[in-house]
Amino acid sequence: MEASGRADQFIPAALAAFGVEADEIELAVMGAAHEMFWPPILELLALDTSAVASEHDHDLSQAPPRR
Amino acid sequence: MSEPLDLSLREQAAAIAAGELDTSELLEAALARIEERNPAINAVVETFPERSREMLAAAPAGPLHGVPIVIKDEWPLPWRAQRFGAADMLAKTAPGESGPYRALRDAGAVIVGVGNMHELGGGSTGNVSVYGPARNPWNPERCPGGSSSGPAAAVAARLVAGAVGADGVGSIRYPATYCGLTGLKPTLGRSAMKGHHMAGVSTTIVSGPLCADAGDARLLGSALYGEELRAGEASGLRIGVIEDEVSEDVAPEVREACEAAIEQLREATGGEVRKIELPELPAATLATVLIANSESLGGITPERLNNLDPELSPLARGLLKYRLMLPAAATVKAHQVRTMARRRLAEVFDDVDLIAWPTVPAVAPPLEAPLVELPSGTLTADAANVRGGALANLTGIPAISVPVGSSEGLPIGLQLQAAWGRDELLLDAAEALEGANGRRWVEAEPPLTAERTEA
Repeated sequence: MEASGRADQFIPAALAAFGVEADEIELAVMGAAHEMFWPPILELLALDTSAVASEHDHDLSQAPPRR
Repeated sequence: MSEPLDLSLREQAAAIAAGELDTSELLEAALARIEERNPAINAVVETFPERSREMLAAAPAGPLHGVPIVIKDEWPLPWRAQRFGAADMLAKTAPGESGPYRALRDAGAVIVGVGNMHELGGGSTGNVSVYGPARNPWNPERCPGGSSSGPAAAVAARLVAGAVGADGVGSIRYPATYCGLTGLKPTLGRSAMKGHHMAGVSTTIVSGPLCADAGDARLLGSALYGEELRAGEASGLRIGVIEDEVSEDVAPEVREACEAAIEQLREATGGEVRKIELPELPAATLATVLIANSESLGGITPERLNNLDPELSPLARGLLKYRLMLPAAATVKAHQVRTMARRRLAEVFDDVDLIAWPTVPAVAPPLEAPLVELPSGTLTADAANVRGGALANLTGIPAISVPVGSSEGLPIGLQLQAAWGRDELLLDAAEALEGANGRRWVEAEPPLTAERTEA
């Protein structure tokens, strides 16, 4: 199935699934956000990160430990 | 002595310590100047003169004794809960002693007002707020930057010489650039964070100083860090630059000013410029947005979303509802991108001391339509700015924005990033750059203050 980012399908369906209401302006905002975020999200989802070893007990205030 | 509020933060502190400047007079002068200049820029959304006077009366003899400071509407004070620039912030808040409040109080500073901010911290422009937009002192029709819009505009308009902001995705550095200031985003965890409604949840937000120059940022930063940010010598700096959209899809005048500043810094420090590669950067930008948005989902439920305060902007309402739809799988991958980016940076910082690129790719856009024209086309300022601002928040490294030029009468900023814990090096480098350009840009005055001074 082709990946679809169509806001007019995805957003109303998602809102209905969550039981969240939205007015016309909010729908327009969500549509614009979807148009901006969805393509890179699909790119991110297509990224194979299975080889990325976890950074255990990571401390973001420090450099990651040398492997 | 010139008008005390036109002195730098460290000059104010030194004059007070030397007995040459009366702290009560300085506080009253700050309150009067806020009353005079603030209506044009809406930087300060609340003052509380009696509380400020009480704070001054109890102020210890610290390094900021008697110095007026503005704090962003992101931190609770003992007499005031933060509003996060919003009619509805989806989190329980109450007045209290936040970390930055305690840090300022213990340093002897006087909180003179609360700074405006972009609604819910959700934008880089500062044009949306429950208090109305803050305006840029360099041109009131332009964005001051966000989300720390008010703190930046307050310092640029010389209402105060220092302000405390917060930076979750560039929110100190963007307004620092738009308003011609020096803004420091500390290494994650080094600066005061207690009492923030996202403390313990957010892995991107830090408090930090917004000041005219690096010396003042060092002084105010030392209070926020709870330790002295010692000055060192920036010599032989290895400056990393990147051939990527973050430094190339940039307005020509911004690119030119930043390239010239990098060369000035190299020459001033006897250093070298090295090309680096960060192939994770585009993914890192999205990863930052996903992580920052998912971390603030705690107070968001379908029921809550159906009962948002009607005064919340339509933009915020729509974006809050859209957050529910972000795929969990993407957020998991975002954390893996964070790991990859951190490892890459650790390798890069073996070869360079700093990474330099424009803080934002264009000067402050109009308040009414925050769009920027770039070689790739017209983008929203938010979409363009996040490219350069996100990496430091994702990975935890410190970053600073320093003024390096001007176009259309609006400031241009260069961002310097360093390895974890090397915040002091950023201040040293910023000071070296100030020296190299004769402090031209840190001493530049916006028309708002220049007109008043002449009058």
